[in-house]
Amino acid sequence: MNRKDVSPLIPVLGSIGESNLAKRRASRGSNENIEFSYHKFEVYDNVPLNMTPTIAPLSSNVQPNKVFWVTHIANMSRDNMLCSKCGEGFEPQEKIVNSTGQLWHQHCFVCAQCFREFADGVFYEYDGRKYCEHDFHVLFAPCCQRCGTFIIGRVIKAMNSSWHAECFRCEICHVELADSGFIKNSGRALCHQCNANVKAQGLGKYVCHKCHSIIDDQPLKFRGEVYHPYHFNCTACGVELDANAREVRNRPGLAKNDTNELYCLRCHDKMGVPICGACRRPIEERVVTALGKHWHVEHFVCAKCEKPFFGHRHYEKKGLAYCETHYHQLFGNLCHHCNQVIAGDVFTALNKAWCVNHFACSVCDQKMNQKTKFYECDLKPVCKKCYEKFPKELRNRLRRQHEATPRRVPTPVE
Amino acid sequence: METAPSVSCLPQNVKMSKAKKVLEDAREIKNPELDLFDKGVATFEEMPGLLNMTYITRLTLSHNRLRSVPPGLANLTNLETLNLANNQIEELPLSLSSLPKLRILNLSINRLYVLPRGFGAFPVLEILDLTYNNLKDDSLPGNFFMMQTLRALYLGDNDFERLPPEVKNLKNLEILGLRENDLIELPKELGELTRLRELHVQGNRLTIIPPELGNLDMLSNKAAFRFEGNEWVKPIADQLQLGIGHLLDLLRSETYRITYGRYLTNKPPVPAPCLDKAKKISRIR
Repeated sequence: MNRKDVSPLIPVLGSIGESNLAKRRASRGSNENIEFSYHKFEVYDNVPLNMTPTIAPLSSNVQPNKVFWVTHIANMSRDNMLCSKCGEGFEPQEKIVNSTGQLWHQHCFVCAQCFREFADGVFYEYDGRKYCEHDFHVLFAPCCQRCGTFIIGRVIKAMNSSWHAECFRCEICHVELADSGFIKNSGRALCHQCNANVKAQGLGKYVCHKCHSIIDDQPLKFRGEVYHPYHFNCTACGVELDANAREVRNRPGLAKNDTNELYCLRCHDKMGVPICGACRRPIEERVVTALGKHWHVEHFVCAKCEKPFFGHRHYEKKGLAYCETHYHQLFGNLCHHCNQVIAGDVFTALNKAWCVNHFACSVCDQKMNQKTKFYECDLKPVCKKCYEKFPKELRNRLRRQHEATPRRVPTPVE
Repeated sequence: METAPSVSCLPQNVKMSKAKKVLEDAREIKNPELDLFDKGVATFEEMPGLLNMTYITRLTLSHNRLRSVPPGLANLTNLETLNLANNQIEELPLSLSSLPKLRILNLSINRLYVLPRGFGAFPVLEILDLTYNNLKDDSLPGNFFMMQTLRALYLGDNDFERLPPEVKNLKNLEILGLRENDLIELPKELGELTRLRELHVQGNRLTIIPPELGNLDMLSNKAAFRFEGNEWVKPIADQLQLGIGHLLDLLRSETYRITYGRYLTNKPPVPAPCLDKAKKISRIR
């Protein structure tokens, strides 16, 4: 053992022999007191709901203690010195242990549990007895419920167990509960927010994203969350909102929630948000403008088949819109022969329309053009050759009828 | 497979060789549209191989002297248009209505007294022309009005006195020709044919119009209502004088409903047939 001359902290004993602690100090080059912080058990009782946790010290006098080895006591008589453990005196030249003003034989200064010397001179005193670090932990230090290791420093006593502060977390969102407090909910420790959510879900209600309390009446949905309507005011007139307030997506190019604003129903209606001409509801997504009105895309439909146009061409007639097929079916340009929409030029005659290639004599099926002279029989076109092959009595009757029919151009009709 | 071309018992006249030539030419170029009108043919035997030309889509045989149609015509399963106008056909084969693609069938100016059983089975028939035959109320088979695809039905110059209420099943009917029949009344079910835009009833024995016909849109430029040559009751005659719009207004009015009801209960005498149809060539036996 090396010797050190001075230990200023033990003025009573004068010169001090070697000490493990002093050695350690010397190696650190520090004269400061070394403190092992091990105090203040913080205890959370199973606090009732909504109460902040209380903190109370469990054992305040447990501290790691310092020990000094005294090998030579030069200037003092050993006659008055007695071992604190066995009460015997000290032999001359015998090593004496000095700790907090008390003296021990070296063999008396041991762990109360394992009777071995204290490693590095660190011991813990509990209920008048001294223990080495290991035995103290084994006998008295709490184990964390979560990680199963000893807890040094802050001990969280909660849920009938002990926890490291960093191990005691909300079971749903895993936020640390040591400083914010917790609420026991059916055997789980939850933070206030999660507890409120769980409770609201059980009631089938929303929790206000702002005040975290249950929304008893109609909630107001805004930017993807639900709120009490009364937390907001109308963007336009400032009136406190109710559940009828409307969320307006005023800049469709951006992510849909970011720029949403809230308006009271009155201001919303005044803002000129288009109203669908079919369902009379405001249009918040794509707007179709046609026939002088606005429409939901899916509500702008053919007046005949009621299928939405979805951007396909529509035809207007008398204030109504029609798909191509039904427009032609209802208003004309379907070819009398092929019953298809006429692409290109149209032959119109006898209250009917034909594709240019389909205009033919109804009797001999020969093609006719705008120069061909034809007769009319029951508003069917009949070429001159065929008409002349008709029975004479039929021709006579047809002629008489034409003569009797007012407003009719006499045959041949061009 | 057909018999040798030199069937000596048939008259080798000019028209017939014409028909044969047309057939040969058509076969050569595989023309799907076959024109055999005014070729003087009296039987299908004079057109050898015709019934094997299954690719043809149109067959025009008008202005001939055909007296019957062979069942084998139904072999021509691609036919879309069959024109038999102005022949002397008295009977049609049952198989005709099985033609799967036939859209247009012209049987006008023939000698039909009756249509075969199941005639209404055409799957896609759109235009049916039976003008100038000898059809009457009991000539039509039970399924005649089941032709849902029918757009135009021409029954002018026949002998109908009444049209059955089943006419309402022709949901797609746009044109109904009933010129110069013996019609005594129109079925009120005509008012259910929402797409009807041509109605030819001139030259019949009609006196009154069911109020239901006021539903029809007869005012568009595509519409035609031909009504001359009937013995209309005075209110109708007066309105017709003024125009179709006035007639429709009358038909839709409550007073006309009463007039019509009173007229039906009174059962006035039916006008006598006014037409002498004996001269019709369709009557020649």
